[in-house]
Formats: sequence, structure tokens, C-alpha cells
Amino acid sequence: MSNQQPVLEIRDVSIAYETAVGPVQAVSHVNLTLDENSIVGLVGESGSGKSTLANAVMRLLRGAARLTSGQILVKGQDVYALSPQELRRFRWNVMSMVFQSAMTVLNPVMTVEQQMIDVFRSHRPEMSVREAHQRSLELLDMVRIDRRHARSYPHELSGGMKQRIVIAIALALEPSLVIMDEPTTALDVVVQRSILDQIKELQKERRFAILFISHDFSLVSELASRVAIMYAGRLVEVADSQGLTLADPLHHPYTLGLMRAIPHLSAEDVEIEGIPGNPPNLVELPTGCAYHPRCPSASAVCEREVPTLRQVGGRAIACHIFDPEKRGEFAHVS
Amino acid sequence: MSLNHLAQESSGAPLVQVEHLAMRFRLRGGQWIRPVDDVSFTIDRGEVLALVGESGSGKTTIGRLLLRILEPSAGRMVVDGRDITHIRGRQLAEYRRVAQMIFQDPFASLNPVKTAEDHLLFPVRKHRGGRPAEVSAVVDDLLTRVGLTPVAETRRKYPHELSGGQRQRLAIARTLAVEPRFLVADEPISMLDVSIRAGILKLLNELKRELGLSFLYITHDLASARYFGDRIMVLYAGKVMETAPARELVAHPRHPYTRLLLAATPGSSHQGALPETANIPPNLSESRQGCPFAPRCPLATEICHETMPAAEDVGSGHRVACHHLEA
Ligand SMILES: Nc1ncnc2c1ncn2[C@@H]1O[C@H](COP(=O)(O)OP(=O)(O)OP(=O)(O)O)[C@@H](O)[C@H]1O
Ligand SMILES: Nc1ncnc2c1ncn2[C@@H]1O[C@H](COP(=O)(O)OP(=O)(O)OP(=O)(O)O)[C@@H](O)[C@H]1O
Ligand SMILES: [Mg+2]
Ligand SMILES: [Mg+2]
Repeated sequence: MSNQQPVLEIRDVSIAYETAVGPVQAVSHVNLTLDENSIVGLVGESGSGKSTLANAVMRLLRGAARLTSGQILVKGQDVYALSPQELRRFRWNVMSMVFQSAMTVLNPVMTVEQQMIDVFRSHRPEMSVREAHQRSLELLDMVRIDRRHARSYPHELSGGMKQRIVIAIALALEPSLVIMDEPTTALDVVVQRSILDQIKELQKERRFAILFISHDFSLVSELASRVAIMYAGRLVEVADSQGLTLADPLHHPYTLGLMRAIPHLSAEDVEIEGIPGNPPNLVELPTGCAYHPRCPSASAVCEREVPTLRQVGGRAIACHIFDPEKRGEFAHVS
Repeated sequence: MSLNHLAQESSGAPLVQVEHLAMRFRLRGGQWIRPVDDVSFTIDRGEVLALVGESGSGKTTIGRLLLRILEPSAGRMVVDGRDITHIRGRQLAEYRRVAQMIFQDPFASLNPVKTAEDHLLFPVRKHRGGRPAEVSAVVDDLLTRVGLTPVAETRRKYPHELSGGQRQRLAIARTLAVEPRFLVADEPISMLDVSIRAGILKLLNELKRELGLSFLYITHDLASARYFGDRIMVLYAGKVMETAPARELVAHPRHPYTRLLLAATPGSSHQGALPETANIPPNLSESRQGCPFAPRCPLATEICHETMPAAEDVGSGHRVACHHLEA
């Protein structure tokens, strides 16, 4: 264990959306820590709460969304204790985010360079236009885009180039924490891979921490050293990525289900198995463990009690099966 | 009435034969692009051909040509013994009973104000006729076939009351209502949640095995192409780069573009930098010359920029179009 201060501490965070049919609990009691210079993946299916959690870290929850419990510390600083001015400085300088629809985030009527200069000028008012211009060109170099594209408008660039620019802007002020919400999902695999390689390279060089959000299990386990798996607003497992193989049976049943559901490119045995049932509806969440209606190992206790994360062989798993006191309940599971 | 109608005759000829297929489009500027260019392939009865390639490489266009939603600019397509290249009117309507399409977005392909049974009653009645009780029994069969049970409950549901996976199952049931022999499945799982994709892929696999259906499976995901495809055909900028039995293609790719694609796919054993020299979007212009991959290819020489290589058979059904095969 390192005694360094973590870059990000998410402590017991819950977030609800107020809706016409009552509050929808999109995130429930999430705990997650990111160390300096680390890449942690956050995976989960559509609607599991990944973006909601990311927005909460950035303190970007709007309108109907509300933090209903918990605390978020970035470099020891409670994000929700910052004044609006402090928060403005804190974003970009200490933490930044690449949004899920990143490519549409670029302003269509401004050149690439103007948008980069804007970021520098508004967050580093002391910086001269000349220096901001120079730094913008360096940002383009950093993500290997020809400097001649400084004067291009977004529509003149390919999807991959736009994505690189959005990533460059997120890194412009050298933050300690960068949240990337599905940064490559809309791109072709070759472009995706070259951007991921670049992210890895930059991360190694500059040693910032990344919370990388995706629904692509194989991609995340290649990129991140640790992976947090979310289901219906809760973390069901946090594990080192090397251990995320079917050869290792010590996992949450949902994690195992996901691993079986994905055809693998090179595995000899290509048999796959879907997870029965349907993804949960947050408005009528099942009682107890939200996964129990789809879980092959579920027993009566799973319908009654919500399991919490407990340490199991070096990973954290929220499943009653691993609770020694409930062992008797699972006599039917081998 | 049984859904198992394909056990009959197998004439030996492939179900689908495509020769020198081409499609040109005129862009607003007046120039012509050719996103499908001299494409030839066959699909046997009960066989799945997976078509992979990056966005804009012409996959959907090939699917639409095969269903004759588009009429080709050149080439010939024979399906189930009939030349469908330029058919119209009644012949085209008849062809809709042979070939059907499964779309990426099941929601968009269903009618929001119709129940699940409405989606099936009409095509079943039209296609097979019969008394109401018989038609109704076929609808039950179809729903059971695609795993939408209990049937009585599903019949009354509207698309918005079904989950994404269930909607795709309903869309599949509808294509089966006319007892087709050939399905074009265009990215049928890419919009679905990860946990339910496997279920749909397995269903398609069952339809292939149990009904003997043939598929053109369009995807950009090599892992699912390897799982469902008997063979994989790799397309780049509208031209076929390589075709091989699925496992062979993944284990022994011969074309530099296939190697690049494989190296970039999550889960591949490839380590280190990608084998490519530049990341240039493909040129679809009709006046282009040579191999369309040449501007990005690490092996490219002068000849690659001048002449498109012919596909060469390298054994066991593995065909590659590359001037530098020895590498
Ligand atoms: N503005 C809103 N009002 C009400 N509910 C919302 C709102 N935004 C999101 N939700 C609900 O919160 C849940 C979590 O949504 P979120 O966008 O965080 O999921 P996600 O894991 O990022 O999904 P995806 O993979 O599709 O991006 C979903 O069930 C969603 O329907
Ligand atoms: N009706 C049309 N008119 C003009 N251009 C077209 C037309 N239909 C397709 N194209 C162009 O043809 C090319 C191939 O498109 P197609 O949709 O077949 O690609 P694809 O391989 O299916 O891509 P994706 O993976 O993004 O679905 C693209 O450049 C597209 O813009
Ligand atoms: Mg999201
Ligand atoms: Mg397409």
C-alpha cells in the first residue's frame, strides 16, 4: 500500500434524478479510489450510471440530478466545498474530462487553434496570446496532428482527429486527473487503437491519473490496471485487470456473465453465453441485489439484502456468495 | 405449417453468387465515387459470410444491393438460381420472400403503434394464407422460435414495452415470417447491451443451423465475425482485400490491411505500435488507381499505386489481393 494521497477518492457517493415518476437512484453508495499515475477502468452497460458518476466528480450534475450521499475528494480537496471561482480554476487545472459525445463538444464556427487558445486564456489569464498560440501548436504536436490543421474548422477534420484534439484540450493545463467517458466508442478500431496507444504514451510521460469509462470489457482490461464494474448504479466488483479472465473463477457472477458473453478474437473455445433476462430498469429496481433476477447463483438472501463490497482474494466483490456467514444459503451452488 | 422448409433440394450451386459487383454514386460536387468496386463472392446454402471493414468501406451498400434496395451500376447477382441484378415489380416482390434484412436499430424498423403480433400477422397472412387459427399458430411458432416467450404475453406488447434485445428478436421473427433463405444482417448487435448481444448472436447461429439459412453478416467487429462467420471477407474502400475461412483469417492473415485490423482489435495478441505508415482516409473516387490501401500500406511499392492486384488463391479457400504476398 502506498501512503501517497490518492488523486481521486469517491466516498459512499449516491446520485438521484428527480423524475415525473419519483426519484431515480442512478448511483448508489459508490466507493472508488484512484492513485496517482494510474489508469482505472469503469465498465458497465448502458444506463448503469457511469456518466452520472463522472459528472458528479466534475461537479457537473445539472437540473434534476442531485448528490444524495457521500463525498468526492480530488487531491484531498472536497470538490463540493469549493466556491464557484475555485471550482472554475480547479476544473482543467486539476481535473478535466473528455465527454462521451466529445466530437460534438468542439465549436463548429471556431478554428481548432482558437478553441485551444480560449482554454489557455480563460484559465491562465496571465498567459499572453503569443504564448497561448505557441502552446496550442505544441498540443497539436503532442497528439500528432499536423500544425497546418491549427487553422482548420472541426468539420474539415476526421472523427479521429477531432477526438485527438478534444483529448489534447483536456490535457492542456496538465491536470492530475482526467476522466475519459467513452472517448473512442464512435471510432473505427484502427483509429481507436492508435488513440488509445497515444493516451497510454502521454499518461506514461506525464503521469496523470485516468478514470476511463467504457462498455467494452476487452478494451478496458487491456488499457487499465484496475477495473471497476458497475451494475444498476452500484459497483459490483473492483479487480486488477490481469485477473479478469474466465480462468479465474473468483468474480462477481455478473463479471463472469460478461466475460462469457463476449466472443474472443483468439480464444480456442469460441462458445459464448448471453446473460439471461434484461438489463435492469432503475425505476423498478429489483429488491436486494439488483442482479439477482438474472443471476444463476442467486438464493433467497439475494432478494432480501443488498450485498456490499468485501475483499476476496485481492479484489473487492459485492456478492453474498463470498460472505462466510451466508455460506449456508448457497449450498445449491458448487 | 413448418418453418423447416429448407431441407429440400440443394442444387450444389451456391445460394448467392456475386460477380464483379459495382456501385457508383454522384456526389454533390459532381464527381463520382465507387464505394463498391469489382466485388465478387459466393455464399453457400447454410453458410455465413461475415463482411468486415471500417466505416464507409461499402458494407451496407453491398447489403442493400443484395436485397435490391439499390440497383447495381455493374456486375451480376444470382440468388437461389435467379438473376436478381435488374429485376423489378412482381419479380422483385417475389424476391422479398427469398431475401430479408435485419437492421442495426430494431426500434427504427418496428412500428410504434403496432403490437408484436400485428408485426407478424400481416406478413404471415400475406405469405402463407390459411385460416385465422393457422395464421395464429404460425405467429406463436415464430415468437417461440426467436425466444419471445411466454408467447401469449409477448403478442400484446408494443415495441416500447420490449427491451432492446426483445425488439431485435421481434424484428428477426418478422423476417422469418416469409420463410426466407437468405438474411442480410447489418450490424444486428452493435446497438444492444453487451449482456444481451450473445443471445442474439446465438439465435442467429441457431437459425443458420436449424433452418439452413444463409447470411451476409455485416460487422466491424472481427471477434463476432469469427464467432458467427464461416468465412470472413475483408473490405477496404469498396474492394475485397482478403477472404478466408473465419479461423484461418484470424490466425493467419495475409493482407497488410487485415493484419492492421487484427492488431488494432481489443483482445488480439498484437503488442507494440500498429503496423501502418499513415492514417489517411481511403479514396473512394472513381478515378483512383491501384490498390486503395497503398497510401497507408507499409509494404507498398510503385506497382501498388498503379495496378489493383488480382485476388490470388493461397490454398484452402483463402484468397488475397496483394502484390506483396511473399511477406
Ligand atoms: N436527466 C435525467 N433524468 C432522469 N434520469 C436520467 C437522466 N440522465 C440519466 N438518467 C438515468 O440515469 C441512469 C444512468 O445514466 P448514465 O447516463 O449515467 O448511464 P451510463 O452508464 O453513462 O450509460 P451509457 O453507457 O449509455 O452512457 C440511466 O438509467 C438514465 O436513464
Ligand atoms: N446514396 C448514396 N449517395 C452517395 N453516397 C453514398 C450513398 N450511400 C452510401 N454512400 C457512400 O458510400 C460509402 C460507403 O457507405 P456504406 O454505408 O456502404 O459504408 P459501411 O461500410 O456500411 O459503413 P459503416 O460501417 O459506417 O456503416 C460512404 O462513403 C457513403 O457516404
Ligand atoms: Mg454514459
Ligand atoms: Mg453500414
